[in-house]
Amino acid sequence: MMQGPTGPATSVATTSPVLRIGGVGKRFGTFTVLDDCSLDVAEGEIVTLLGPSGCGKTTLLRCIAGFWDADSGSITIDGQDMARVPVNRRPVGVVFQSYALFPHLTVARNVGYALRMQGVPRAEAARRVAAALETVSLTGFEDRYPAQLSGGQQQRVAIARVLVMEPRVLLLDEPFNALDAKLRGTMQVELRQLIKSLGLTSIFVTHDQEEALTMSDRIAVMRAGRIEQAAPPDEIFDRPATAYVADFIGSSNFWPSLVADGRVSLPDGQSVATGLRGAVRVMARPHNLQIAPPAAGPWQGRVAFQRSVGPLVEYHVETEGGDAMVKVVAMRRAQDRGFADGTAVSLRIVDPALCAVYPA
Amino acid sequence: MRAFRHLSLSDALGIGLILCVAVFSLLLLVAPSIIVVMISFDTRAFVSFPPEGFTLRWYAEVFEQGELVDAMLNSLQVGLTVTLLCILLGVPTALACARGRFRGTTALSVFVLVPHMVPGIVLGVAVLFAGALVGVSPSIWLQSVAITVFILAVMVRTVQSRLVRLDPALEEAAANLRATPFQSLRTVTFPLLMPAILAGAVFTFVEGFDNLSVAIFTHGFRDRPLPVELLALVQYTSSPLVAAVSGVQIVLAIAALVAVSLSIGLDNVND
Ligand SMILES: Nc1ncnc2c1ncn2[C@@H]1O[C@H](COP(=O)(O)OP(=O)(O)OP(=O)(O)O)[C@@H](O)[C@H]1O
Ligand SMILES: [Mg+2]
Repeated sequence: MMQGPTGPATSVATTSPVLRIGGVGKRFGTFTVLDDCSLDVAEGEIVTLLGPSGCGKTTLLRCIAGFWDADSGSITIDGQDMARVPVNRRPVGVVFQSYALFPHLTVARNVGYALRMQGVPRAEAARRVAAALETVSLTGFEDRYPAQLSGGQQQRVAIARVLVMEPRVLLLDEPFNALDAKLRGTMQVELRQLIKSLGLTSIFVTHDQEEALTMSDRIAVMRAGRIEQAAPPDEIFDRPATAYVADFIGSSNFWPSLVADGRVSLPDGQSVATGLRGAVRVMARPHNLQIAPPAAGPWQGRVAFQRSVGPLVEYHVETEGGDAMVKVVAMRRAQDRGFADGTAVSLRIVDPALCAVYPA
Repeated sequence: MRAFRHLSLSDALGIGLILCVAVFSLLLLVAPSIIVVMISFDTRAFVSFPPEGFTLRWYAEVFEQGELVDAMLNSLQVGLTVTLLCILLGVPTALACARGRFRGTTALSVFVLVPHMVPGIVLGVAVLFAGALVGVSPSIWLQSVAITVFILAVMVRTVQSRLVRLDPALEEAAANLRATPFQSLRTVTFPLLMPAILAGAVFTFVEGFDNLSVAIFTHGFRDRPLPVELLALVQYTSSPLVAAVSGVQIVLAIAALVAVSLSIGLDNVND
């Protein structure tokens, strides 16, 4: 994993973080919204906060931007504690979920807003506005009002508006929510490439796991105010730290089991080593299972349901003794028709080392 | 007219009914003004309808009568003072009610409404007596203040309802984009509130210009406002002179509305 071509994971360890979130807590009345959240974001890294609705993603973002004060913990940017720094002095740019474009100002004046507030000389401001608009390919739209733009164009104005002030940290709260599904896909790739080319340190919020996998160098999976795991997408996917993460990202199969002599036996007769003791839950990804015609083996079943997902076929297999359906993903095969519903099949785990073991 | 061919009878009846109601309510609103304007051109020296003949004599007389011109100028002054006071007091009050994080914002927004609920006559008498108690006698200023108290709620409510509909993220965005709280107010909140403030200004100006109930007890002895002057006038004469004064008022009102709608249309000129 560490020797990947882009290598964002390596840079994490070597340079000191731009943004450091240390044990941040936040409560509303007696309700704890954020509980001891810690996260370091390195120079140029895109970290995604991913979690179900209401888990505190926006709250953490608002604490970083300074709209709300954290009750405990600290937030530092480039080593400077942000606690006493007011919103308008934080080196942070926020792209709001609603974009929050100023409806009474033209695109050019929206984008130039921060520069006017800072008293940047006119000529320089005009040059920087033009550059920012060019970056987001909106040259020629200077004199339009936000109401005269499409959703995608509005999003790009919102991005240009914060780029122009060259923030140290870019915060994006579900910026694709207002866009239709098709546009979303292309905008995700474009936005990631744009942020990467500018080398901006970013935190990106979403509750869509595919979006998180597309956008991020690292994903921080949140659950009820806590960060469960923060790791590169591959690692989150292949080695989820908790059963919750495994369940939340991608699809997964779980079996209850018992540890004996430091090993857990798998349904197909193989076994995997673990440091845990007693009752455990074992997880295997559907693509780590192999479906085959019935053969001698301990793990037999019957195809109950199947569906095509692009080039893949997902089988739901009913197994003897198992209560839940086992999900298997296989490549769609051109020659034969695969396994029809009702066919008897046998199952096998391809790589036992990729199975994860969690406390029950 | 193809669209109408397929209308069922009940649809046609429904549309006809809506049209009738619309025309009727328009007539109800406009007819009195039209009647007044028609009467103001009547050649006869008493109010009667329909008018006979056409003359500008009553309009000439309005501007020859010193008291009427003075009364108009007084009312103009009251109207402008009330509007100014309402903007200065009402906009911050609305901001406090809608955005304030301190306790009592609800109490404040109810409290502002109270004077508006009291009958104007009662408020006028109360202000008169309260003024006497602290040694302030009736004057154009006391009248202006009393009407401001009476009508402030309209400005506050107009601005407040616009404020709560504003996306709070706009002000947060301004702060994030390096604006100080004051800059954010000046460049974002205030321009976006402008249409509401102008609408409120029209209401409060008209009230200041036109109010009789509060004014009758609080106006200065030498500074009679127009409504009080007109009340005196209709008690002694029944000439179309009164109608001519109204005619002047109607022209002024239309001019003000046109000016306001033009300026709302141009509010993009703002920073
Ligand atoms: N002003 C507030 N007062 C009280 N509770 C709040 C307030 N704002 C948010 N909360 C609560 O805090 C929790 C976290 O909210 P937050 O907006 O951070 O969630 P989120 O992860 O961004 O969810 P979503 O994906 O729906 O945007 C929620 O349970 C919410 O009800
Ligand atoms: Mg949110």
